[in-house]
Amino acid sequence: MNEDLEKSFVKQLRENQNIIHKICRLYTSGDDAHKDLFQEITIQLWKAFPKFRGDSKFSTWAYRVALNTAITLYRKSTKSIQTTDYDKHQFFISQEEYNFEEEERIKLMYQAVYQLNDIEKALVFMYLEDKDYTEIAETLGISEVNARVKMNRIKGKLKKILNP
Amino acid sequence: MEELDLLKKYWKKSEDTFEQVSEVEIYKMLHKKSSSIVKWILIISILEVLLWTLISVCFNTDDYFKKIHGEDLIVYFEVFNYFNYAVILTFIYLFYKNYIKISTTVSIKQLMKDILTTRRTVNYYVWYNLTMITLSVFIGYAIAFFYNPAMIALKEKMAHEKSNYTLLLIFGFLALTTLILVGLFWLFYRLLYGILLKKLHTNYKELKKIDL
Repeated sequence: MNEDLEKSFVKQLRENQNIIHKICRLYTSGDDAHKDLFQEITIQLWKAFPKFRGDSKFSTWAYRVALNTAITLYRKSTKSIQTTDYDKHQFFISQEEYNFEEEERIKLMYQAVYQLNDIEKALVFMYLEDKDYTEIAETLGISEVNARVKMNRIKGKLKKILNP
Repeated sequence: MEELDLLKKYWKKSEDTFEQVSEVEIYKMLHKKSSSIVKWILIISILEVLLWTLISVCFNTDDYFKKIHGEDLIVYFEVFNYFNYAVILTFIYLFYKNYIKISTTVSIKQLMKDILTTRRTVNYYVWYNLTMITLSVFIGYAIAFFYNPAMIALKEKMAHEKSNYTLLLIFGFLALTTLILVGLFWLFYRLLYGILLKKLHTNYKELKKIDL
């Protein structure tokens, strides 16, 4: 029974691991930090797994736990200066679609997102994941109106960072 | 916002760039906590042996035996010592085996079994050490009683005494120091391994919660 549970967890996590990878990319810089956060999120998900009843999709549930983990962990280290690895996003665009101008813009955008705080990053993440405000609000535990207001503020902030 | 939507456009595609984690790696992540605790048990036990060895090198017992004219005891002492090292090295080997086993296990049921085995091994180890310490203390007293010239003089004095007052005083003193000494070691082991065992137990309970 427990082995089945573990098996099903591992299988679902493997299938949905890109969610965690994407969160790690937003919240960390460097391979080691990425792996550490990935592992921490995995452990937290596993701990919470017995409470996951399957009435929502695994991915929806994983968003919530993973973001919470990233936010709490990130809080602990807010004092350390976040340095960003510029080369990390070199392979962000695949070779066939290589477009120098667009790549530069995306890089700058990434830099801007990095400067946001932990909660703002979570909102941007959900936005990039193409979630509607109902789901964003539910995942982050805020009201829908609040989520909209926050998102608009973040957009303003990003604009300011890009065009100071 | 145009820039954000550009990022969004490429966001989904970025998935291809992640190095995928295999199922085996995920299993390993789930069990890493226990394995790191067991690794500490192994490291601490090795450090502990090194510490005792260092102490025994600093305090040469051979000189003591010569001083009290107990040269014939040196051989017994060496045998006792080698026996002790053999047992402790066996324990370290068992700790090492437990560590390897826990860090490679992929099934949760087996992991729980391994945790219990490790706890049992550590407990045996602590009890063995405490027994050995108590035994050494008693042997030490016996040697002092039969060989130490100061004790011989005391024994003569006691023979002339009518009451057992001095004898009782000596036994009382010995019992008290033994109790304190063994107590201190017991505390030392409780602190050293107790914390690790507690963590291991917490991990075990977490696993058990999942074990429906």
